[in-house]
Amino acid sequence: MRRLLWPSVALALAIAYPLLFSTPFQQRLGALVLLYAIAASAWNIVGGYAGQVSVGHVVFFGCGAYAAMGAYSHFALSPLVGIPAGIAASVAIAAVIGVPTLRLSGHYFSMATIAVAELVRLIVSDTDYLGGGVGLSGPTVPRNVFDLSFISALPYYYLFLTVLVLTLGITWWMADSRMGFYLRAIRDSERAARSLGAPASRIKLYAFMLSAGLTSVSGTLYAAMFGFVDPESGLGILISVKMLIMAALGGAGLLFGPLVGAAILVPLEEISNNLLGGNGAGLTFIVYGAIIVLIARFQPGGILTLLMRLSAKPGKTPDISSAAGAPHAP
Amino acid sequence: MRFKRVFGLLCAASISFVLAGAASAQDKTVKIGAVFPLSGNAASAGIHAKAAIETAMDIINNAHPELGNFPLAKNAGLAGLGGAKVEVVFADNQGSPATGQNQALRLITEEKVVALTGAYQSGITLTASAIAEKYGIPFVNGESTAANLTERGFKWFFRTTPIASDFAKVYFDFLTDMKAAGAKTDTIALVHDTTEYGTSVASVITSAFKEKGMAIAEDISYVVNATDVQSQVLQLKEKKPDVVIMVAYTSDAILYSKTMQALDYKPPMIIADDSGYSDPSFIKSVGKITQGVFNRSSWSVGPPGSPTAIIADMYKKRSGDEMDDTAGRQMQAFFVLCDAIDRAGSTDPAKIQAALKAIDLKPDQLMMGYKGIKFDEKGQNTLASGVIIQLQDGEHYVSVWPKATAEKAPIMPFKGW
Amino acid sequence: MSSILVQVVVGGLLLGAVYALFSSGLTLIWGMMNIVNFAHGDFVMLGMYVAFVIWKLFGSGPLLGAPAAALVLATLGIVVYFGLIRSIMKGPMLAQILGTFGLALLLRYAVFWWFGANFLSLPEDIVGGTFDLFGIRIEASRLLAGLVALIVTGALHVLLTRTTLGSKMLAVAEDSAAAQLMGIRPDTMQAIAWAIAAGVTGIAGALIATFFYVVPTVGETLAIVAFVTVSLGGFGSVPGALVAGLLIGVIESLSAYWIGAVYKDIVVYALFLGFLWFRPQGLMGKS
Repeated sequence: MRRLLWPSVALALAIAYPLLFSTPFQQRLGALVLLYAIAASAWNIVGGYAGQVSVGHVVFFGCGAYAAMGAYSHFALSPLVGIPAGIAASVAIAAVIGVPTLRLSGHYFSMATIAVAELVRLIVSDTDYLGGGVGLSGPTVPRNVFDLSFISALPYYYLFLTVLVLTLGITWWMADSRMGFYLRAIRDSERAARSLGAPASRIKLYAFMLSAGLTSVSGTLYAAMFGFVDPESGLGILISVKMLIMAALGGAGLLFGPLVGAAILVPLEEISNNLLGGNGAGLTFIVYGAIIVLIARFQPGGILTLLMRLSAKPGKTPDISSAAGAPHAP
Repeated sequence: MRFKRVFGLLCAASISFVLAGAASAQDKTVKIGAVFPLSGNAASAGIHAKAAIETAMDIINNAHPELGNFPLAKNAGLAGLGGAKVEVVFADNQGSPATGQNQALRLITEEKVVALTGAYQSGITLTASAIAEKYGIPFVNGESTAANLTERGFKWFFRTTPIASDFAKVYFDFLTDMKAAGAKTDTIALVHDTTEYGTSVASVITSAFKEKGMAIAEDISYVVNATDVQSQVLQLKEKKPDVVIMVAYTSDAILYSKTMQALDYKPPMIIADDSGYSDPSFIKSVGKITQGVFNRSSWSVGPPGSPTAIIADMYKKRSGDEMDDTAGRQMQAFFVLCDAIDRAGSTDPAKIQAALKAIDLKPDQLMMGYKGIKFDEKGQNTLASGVIIQLQDGEHYVSVWPKATAEKAPIMPFKGW
Repeated sequence: MSSILVQVVVGGLLLGAVYALFSSGLTLIWGMMNIVNFAHGDFVMLGMYVAFVIWKLFGSGPLLGAPAAALVLATLGIVVYFGLIRSIMKGPMLAQILGTFGLALLLRYAVFWWFGANFLSLPEDIVGGTFDLFGIRIEASRLLAGLVALIVTGALHVLLTRTTLGSKMLAVAEDSAAAQLMGIRPDTMQAIAWAIAAGVTGIAGALIATFFYVVPTVGETLAIVAFVTVSLGGFGSVPGALVAGLLIGVIESLSAYWIGAVYKDIVVYALFLGFLWFRPQGLMGKS
């Protein structure tokens, strides 16, 4: 029961947050943290648990976002239709690009995924059906509640919270299953995992497809909230990098790592922009960049590993061996 | 019991009195939000916009009798609100539609701005104005040209700038006049990037020209922020079009000029679509090798001593750069917004909205060369228009068309370097 | 071959040489330390600004600008190595991306803060303008960059294969613990590698500035090209980066000319992915 204590406290805090911090901006900030936490947690399955550092996950994010806006623009359907449509498209695309790229190891895989993402962005920029460079927009005036176009951030907040809990639940279930065991084995040494009989290629592909589907949901939710997607905001490499750095900063390969990362980076980004962005001197990103550098410098395994070490009872070594950032346990 | 209630009422009354007093003191400043790209790829445009709006604030908040009858200049502050000062809260959209919307929300709910302006990139204007619409806050845009912005049935969105269909008309009429004057305009090449700006302007020009029986012979599209444009220039060199229309941002515009010079390619006529070719850093960087380029603009400095010349001078002192069309259009939108607030005599958003709907400014009340400001039911300025300017000496643009308002006659062919 | 087509190919080769030039520093670090430097594009950008400042102050071109950029960037490389890289190398690969991405933002916006967001440019005749060679137009600035690319590639290759310093560096790259036992200090070797890589990147930036525009965000434009060049050439292979750069330059130019400029990057990425399918370790990388 003990291991459920902290997650329950966190969930209770998450449910109470919008009541404690009730200005529209604070509520929206909370919703954004959850939104990016969904994306980063989805990325974490393949990037953290399986150790395959994908920098092309924005493709799946874009699938979800474009499916949502496409459903509205072309068929006058609710952006929610983008969830199943985006998942279907993402899983299919993940299968197609996963087979060749997952054979590549380490940085080659990262670079190949960057190339895939750029390829998709460039093709979409030139596809009129998907809005080309102009992009697609959502319902400007909501027709009904299923258009997900609200003034208040509260509905978004609780919707995102539900999806995040589901995402983390799936991740937890996966990590606890045989698949999670295989994934960690592959991350530590693919050769060793194979020699022990783990079907490495198949397992990696499954993780990639699962991760892609969940990432797509975050894309749909993003598009529903902002009501717009274009090649830069839906398929730009920066979004992939954001998922990655949130997971890495919190603790990749840890269930709550991406959430911790998002809870630090999103407010940092928004608040530094609020305070410094208006003067036009670029100070926002100096602060933001410097803090990321400092965290990478002093806590390369992520913030969560630090918290775990601090909260561990003295004299007892904490179990951080499951973190991608921790030195690998034999 | 009764005493208690009376006492409570008294307390409430005194509190509301104090609050009202505070509120009327606050009324002395009118807060307006401005969302612009102050970092990222388009930061140079955003920072110029900021300087333009600060210049406009100076004009509005301080007495500037030297500007004559220019609206809001003569006395300090907004006369309609008892000399209230205008305060602008700037926010950085970071080139992201999401950030743009978040910042618009913050300005509305935290900073309590009464109106918004911005946000340069059409996609960001789209998301930021959607929030303003939901909150019922007027959004006046001066520079985003995507057609769909005014097609959304919004009631709080107003746009002062000319849009692609206006540009296409300007180009067509200009080319017709040039042809009558003896220039060859039979084959036209259109070079544009695949951003929202490049594609939408290019497609409108293509269809508008087609309607009038003038075909685009060569359509060259490229991806924005190119590392190299040699092949595009060589394609042009091979096809030898009479007229090249360039739709490009600053980065690519600089590269095109450098490459054209390096490959020794001079088309008889280049018409640029504002944007990159109007950027003062473009002129500083490659103006000397792009002499004679035509450009679409609504801004012209005018004779010394004129209000526009004084404004241009003030802007240059503040920003360190020459005034350009984009900054001018942003500044004009801000003046229109402040003018509406002044006429409304109130900071109530609904009253500002009504004033914007009723606005009818004449050319002599504007700093830009529009035929006036009057919004249609969609919020688009129906009197927006442009002129053709030419970079004759490689340092300053002068207006060359239409003849009635031209400072100089157009020089043909394109001189280059 | 029509003269225009020759011009396209020559232009592509010169462009490719530039790609190779600004990729060589990246591949060196990548091969030596298995680190992907997400701030690489911003190192190039810093080199460009150094060249710009040198021109502003002394009116001189890359003759002074390139060495100055090399010096400034090499110093920065050492500082970055000891201040950041040495610690994050102990962490997972993700920490490298995290750290260098943060560094990229920091550098980019420090320059933004200091120089502003305006586009800057060096005079187009700073290296001697453009000349005709059998009817082919060649920009002296691009030719110089191309020649330097060849020299740098050759020099780095000789350094790594023919000198004691190079073999020490490779020994550290191969097995740092074993190298330490043989009396080689991995720290020193890796710091030298960072200094060389950053210095070369500075030279690249200074030379690119002679025919490109200079703006704080320019590194973003160049970084992805460098990543593709390096992976195509094979991580760590300096000659591989040269061949890959030339190949990409020519493919870009020809596809832009034949199919259309809008498709040139699509062609490059598609061919790159197709190539990785057949040869996952790149052109000249070790499998």
